[in-house]
Amino acid sequence: MNEALAGLASFATLALIKAAPIAFAALGGVLCERSGVVDVALEGQLAAGAFTAVVVSAASGNPLLGLAAGIAAGALLGYALGLAATRFGADQIVAGIGLNVFALGACAFGLVLVFGREGTSDEVHALGNRGEAALILAGFGCAAALHALFYASPWGLRVRACAENPAAVRDAGLDPGRMRRLACTAGGALAGLGGVFLALAELDLYSDGMTAGRGFIALAAVIFGGWTPLGAAAASLVFGALSALQFGLQRSGIPSEAMQALPYLAALAALAGWTGRARAPQADGVPEERRFD
Amino acid sequence: MRAAAWVAVGGLALAGAGATLLAGANPLEAAGALLRGALGGPQQIAETLVQTASLLFPALAVGFALRGGLFNIGADGQAVAGGLVAGLIGAAWPGAGGFALVAALAGGTLAGGAWGALAGVLRARFGGSEVIATLMLNVLAGLLATYLLSGPLRAPGATGPETAALPESVWLPLLMPGTRLSVALPLALALAAALQIVLRRTIYGFELRAAGLAPETARRAGIDLGAIAFSALSLSGAMAGLGGATIVTGVLHRFDPALSPGYGFIGIAVALVGGLEPARIALSAFGFAILQSGSLTLQAFAHVPKDVIVLLEGLAIVALAGRRAFVARATLPP
Repeated sequence: MNEALAGLASFATLALIKAAPIAFAALGGVLCERSGVVDVALEGQLAAGAFTAVVVSAASGNPLLGLAAGIAAGALLGYALGLAATRFGADQIVAGIGLNVFALGACAFGLVLVFGREGTSDEVHALGNRGEAALILAGFGCAAALHALFYASPWGLRVRACAENPAAVRDAGLDPGRMRRLACTAGGALAGLGGVFLALAELDLYSDGMTAGRGFIALAAVIFGGWTPLGAAAASLVFGALSALQFGLQRSGIPSEAMQALPYLAALAALAGWTGRARAPQADGVPEERRFD
Repeated sequence: MRAAAWVAVGGLALAGAGATLLAGANPLEAAGALLRGALGGPQQIAETLVQTASLLFPALAVGFALRGGLFNIGADGQAVAGGLVAGLIGAAWPGAGGFALVAALAGGTLAGGAWGALAGVLRARFGGSEVIATLMLNVLAGLLATYLLSGPLRAPGATGPETAALPESVWLPLLMPGTRLSVALPLALALAAALQIVLRRTIYGFELRAAGLAPETARRAGIDLGAIAFSALSLSGAMAGLGGATIVTGVLHRFDPALSPGYGFIGIAVALVGGLEPARIALSAFGFAILQSGSLTLQAFAHVPKDVIVLLEGLAIVALAGRRAFVARATLPP
């Protein structure tokens, strides 16, 4: 009995650890998409957050500075996406893909410059178990806060309006471009925090490819969660549990690839409308200066 | 627009110079090493042309779909699907020679097309974003290949998720002995020429371009946007799948899930630089291939980490995002 409980507890812990970076990135994605900017750059923001956190922690010996720097790096990439999407009227998907490629290339490049070798950084001062637990709690907090912000504050209403009808937001005397840039920056910061969790909480180093498609799983969580903070957080928990289950099922004959595939299949099903209300905001991906009618 | 293009090129050159200085190298020497590595002799030029072919297939795939207002960012997954089927067919009939090679290429084309068609169905039938669908299908292709090759279709003695090495009879014929330059390049160029004709001279090409330029007008003129979305994504996937098949039969001579390392994403840049015109995409692919094949000598001789090229390609894609070559995409009705 106790053994079963202990097993369950360790499974739940592992699931939370696996879910946390996905959840941070997914919440960032929700924030960005609900302002009307399609965020395919989550993968790059995760990598940038992880890499910057490790470099700064290595340089300063203080993981908290690393945490702050990782968040800042994610925010910077988010701002770049927002800027491209609004001021330069760039295609958001192309810009997002470009930022992904750029971030992954820059991290690999920086890794060689800073640590003098390809592949993996040195082990650095990390946040430890207590930091890990605190960040997981913060993840739940972020989901609740974002929900409250979206549905119980004027600011949230305005941001969401930018993704539904930016022209109306402009007519109401607000600047939808500015709102989108702000939302993208904050969303990037959240995704950067997800990267920090990967590098300084779950592990204590950066290695090339460590994000391993989590940014795309997060995007799947955004869609499967119906573009809502609580939905995306719940989807991230499910995906985290699936990921934890892989370790338990290794000897059961169920191929681990099948478990890994489930988040993506869930997102495709949601896209096809099989899970009900998953629909992108009306003007998601539409440059704001164009009338949407 | 011209001025903006020069600013972008100048900015990229500055970024490249900055990155090389950061790595402690002389930018001019680095550029020299890059060019020597890509064009310094027959061997190097042949390798650059190999890269040109590998980039041209996904770039044509992306460009073709984008002309119809559809964004296929899943060329990597389609190449994996195509490469997997080509590798399995090629390894299955070692004695069949030329027939097996043709079957491998055809099978790869069909598999890539099927992978693209999945996104096409989602778009045409359910109105789901093909961007997200192709992105998800990228990962799923890799997982499916890994599963099949480490489980049910595991090659005897294989250590990783690879097919057995292909017998020489199913290798693409070489154009230049002693190099890896195969008929993949003329095949890719022929595809570019065919697409140029399809886009300019056929009714289907006209309908595709109309759907991309003005979907609402096209719909009112009686063009079936759903059919266009399905067919364009399927054909686009088929091109990327053929590309994967040529990498398996012409470059690697076995299937490896990492056969298309980001070619699908770089292909977006290649297609946009080429203005979505197949002939110019071919030129653009050669330009990007110089960067790709020069990056190794850049690292070996100028001691600049080769990922600086990835970094610069990312910046180039961001800069290209500003080009309004595809304004109609976002309003394509579900």
